[in-house]
Amino acid sequence: MSNNRVSRRQFLSYTLTGVGGFMAAGMLMPMVRFAIDPVLQKHGGGDFVQTEHKIADITDKPVKVDLKFEQVDAWYKSDVTNVAWVFKEGDQIVALSPVCKHLGCMVGWEEDSSHPNQFFCPCHAGRYEKNGKNVPGTPPTGPLDEYEVQEKNGFLWLGPTKANTLVK
Amino acid sequence: MYFNANDVTSFMAQKEFIDTAIVPLVSVDLTSEKMKQSGTEADFLLSLTSFIEQQFKGRLLLMPPFSYSATLKDEEMPKQLEAQLHNAGFKHVFFITCDHSWTNIGDEVNIIWLPAIPLESMDKGVKSSILEDQLRQLIPILSTKWAQI
Ligand code: FES
Repeated sequence: MSNNRVSRRQFLSYTLTGVGGFMAAGMLMPMVRFAIDPVLQKHGGGDFVQTEHKIADITDKPVKVDLKFEQVDAWYKSDVTNVAWVFKEGDQIVALSPVCKHLGCMVGWEEDSSHPNQFFCPCHAGRYEKNGKNVPGTPPTGPLDEYEVQEKNGFLWLGPTKANTLVK
Repeated sequence: MYFNANDVTSFMAQKEFIDTAIVPLVSVDLTSEKMKQSGTEADFLLSLTSFIEQQFKGRLLLMPPFSYSATLKDEEMPKQLEAQLHNAGFKHVFFITCDHSWTNIGDEVNIIWLPAIPLESMDKGVKSSILEDQLRQLIPILSTKWAQI
């Protein structure tokens, strides 16, 4: 029986390893989370999400498409609806992110009547051309992001966002 | 922006752009008849304010909700808070609440009062379209203030 007894030294080293393990996990976890691309994180692993829009219905006029997922924000969990502005550019389906590249408000299509055919940000009057190119002289410093798009069974699926590829 | 470390850092760096503070005033009623209603109000107000935050992230800072029960309620609180927020550099301060009694001090501070809509039984789609409708009513209030500068 005495062979199986845990000596004081062993006991201490077991417990310390245990505690150390917790501490290491405590330090590692946030690091692992930082290492994951924030864009992917935001979309729950970067999976494609089905929208209610049929590919066939998409025209060259940008329309708002809803994307739903749950998000934990600061102190409150909310069902945030993300949106995309979707239109056809020739044969290509384009889905632009509405998040303003200045400080992150939601831009709208033709929301400012004096600037038709542009996206407009109500916060500080930022403007973008239809392909997402920021209009110089307005606050935004870059073009609107683009969503990855897929077609499945005639419906539009949206994936993670990426840097704008339309603006040359 | 939210009142958290990250967003507050952006606020400090971009003060001239983030000129508006939104403060939810949440009444917490713990009597058995009113508790459920009180929960509905809190739910609605927090959902709505986080929706507003999402739309106007770059222009406003959403403060954590200021919660009070009937006996803790104090008319001076919003007034003093407003003064402090002005000192901190906010040009516009809005209080948003489902508690009608705050409209009493509506002449002195910006109170936005909204009746609570019970969101708890709604599915996500209905919920977000309701919140969008509510937001659409709030936009003119915000934009008239913003236009005044
Ligand atoms: S956040 Fe869009 S212009 Fe400032």
